[in-house]
Amino acid sequence: MFGAYSSEWIKLRRRAMLLWGLGGGLFFAVLATIFTVERAVKNPSLFPLRRGRVTFAELELPTGLVHGVVDVSTLIGIVALCLFAGAFATEYSQGTLRNLLVREPRRAQLLTGKFLALATFIGVAVVLEIVVSCGVALLLAPGRGITTSAWTSATGINDLLQATLHVFLASVGYGLLGAAAGVLLRSPGVAIGASVAYVIPVEAIIVGAIWSNGDRWLPGQLLSALAHGGTGDSSYHHSLITLAVYMVLIAVGTLAVFRRRDAS
Amino acid sequence: MTSSVVTSGLTKRFGQRLAVDAVDIDLPAGVVSGFVGPNGAGKTTTIQLLLGLCRPTSGTAEVLGRPISDPASYLGRVGALIEAPSFYPTLSGRRNLEVLTRLGRIDSGRISEVLAMVELSDRGNDFVRAYSLGMKQRLGVAAALLPDPELCILDEPTNGLDPAGIREMRSVIRGLSDRGISVFVSSHLLAEIEAICDHLVMIDNGRIVFQGGVDKLIDAQQSDIIASPEHPADVQALAELCIAAGKPARAEQGEVHVQAPEDWAPELNRQAMAAGITLRGLTVRRASLEEAFFAITEGQSDENGEAG
Repeated sequence: MFGAYSSEWIKLRRRAMLLWGLGGGLFFAVLATIFTVERAVKNPSLFPLRRGRVTFAELELPTGLVHGVVDVSTLIGIVALCLFAGAFATEYSQGTLRNLLVREPRRAQLLTGKFLALATFIGVAVVLEIVVSCGVALLLAPGRGITTSAWTSATGINDLLQATLHVFLASVGYGLLGAAAGVLLRSPGVAIGASVAYVIPVEAIIVGAIWSNGDRWLPGQLLSALAHGGTGDSSYHHSLITLAVYMVLIAVGTLAVFRRRDAS
Repeated sequence: MTSSVVTSGLTKRFGQRLAVDAVDIDLPAGVVSGFVGPNGAGKTTTIQLLLGLCRPTSGTAEVLGRPISDPASYLGRVGALIEAPSFYPTLSGRRNLEVLTRLGRIDSGRISEVLAMVELSDRGNDFVRAYSLGMKQRLGVAAALLPDPELCILDEPTNGLDPAGIREMRSVIRGLSDRGISVFVSSHLLAEIEAICDHLVMIDNGRIVFQGGVDKLIDAQQSDIIASPEHPADVQALAELCIAAGKPARAEQGEVHVQAPEDWAPELNRQAMAAGITLRGLTVRRASLEEAFFAITEGQSDENGEAG
């Protein structure tokens, strides 16, 4: 498995991977942080229609430091989903999977090693996004008169670490959905298109028009709740446990398909 | 002699299509074995079965003495180039090979060695997307050589190569054989196989139609004796003389083509002399591999037709 993990890193260090995998998430994280801090309102009574703007009071809480990043955690997850779907499907579409299987015929080890390498890459990306986003928030907040003392308190640091873990776990979950789509559909364009379409509009339509309670059970909704550390509709523990069951089923199914299907 | 590959009733069906039909192959170790047949005959599918890339519908096979149901037990000793070489275009040739050395736990020092063997040392750091098809093909062979294999399976290795590249590839394959490596090389270019192989497996419509030594195959085919009389007016008489001796013959552009074994040439010379015909030329043309292949496959079609 270490061979598969190590060899995947050669591919992950390609310029395109760094640009889209790291750069994409970083772009969303920084942009969200700038918008959150710059558009925050001091006196909410003057802005009855805040349209998603946070208040100074909300930002001055210990969780305020990562408010922007958590708000765009779904987009960060979508970047992970595309990365995983593309990485797996491209091996089929380019024909490189055959070379890999000749050198590592133990398919479970190949799939697991590759997945873990991508998960590590996403972990590095999430940490980088949060570090840069925190730096931007700390830089901009004093200029707007936002008090940041709670951010660097023990509670603030603890909330920061928890938020990092939640966004990372959610991103790996999105990644697993992408990996499953890549293995099943074998075409990067189709795999990315189908999985993004499912996670964003399809689930939103299901929850909005068909099954209002779906946000407690659909994987995309649960991943979003997980990244936020739980929501009013779906608690953190409910999201975590339900997702764990889904993810095990998806991983086992993907592995079974990968092991049994001809690589011709 | 030990065998590098043995298959028994190996069969692969894709839906309704029978791609490989009860194939029995026995490849001697340490020689270059050719695998020939037209496009779509089942060569690549057979190779993919041997490499564990797809599962047989029925039948068994052993590669280097190990069953194909357990590819991990033998693929570390096998190098393979499968159909069109596939690489990551935005990685260099060297990096592409590094992906495989890390995956297969192969000493990375082999990368420079195999790049030198296929004469890609000076282009090893270029992106693969900048490679010509011939260079990609050579990189594919380099990838196959990475594990210093006991058996090298090469699927159409001369595809896309120019004449100089084809000659180099022959030399690489011969070099492998000289080092005692068994080589199983597929091609639809029969002349190519004839030039480099000691042993031959012929496949058509998923079925093996011949296997054995190349010489054995060609020797089994009827050769042509071409006799050229000194005077063109004697052509018809010479042809009739051969027919009277029970050898099919035809007059063609001042020559007589006789279907007869090679050792009948002196007899033809004697009979022509006795009939007052002086020959200015007498040559024997042995059947090429291509002619042998078509003779066998047409023979099989006729048998199948009669059976049906």
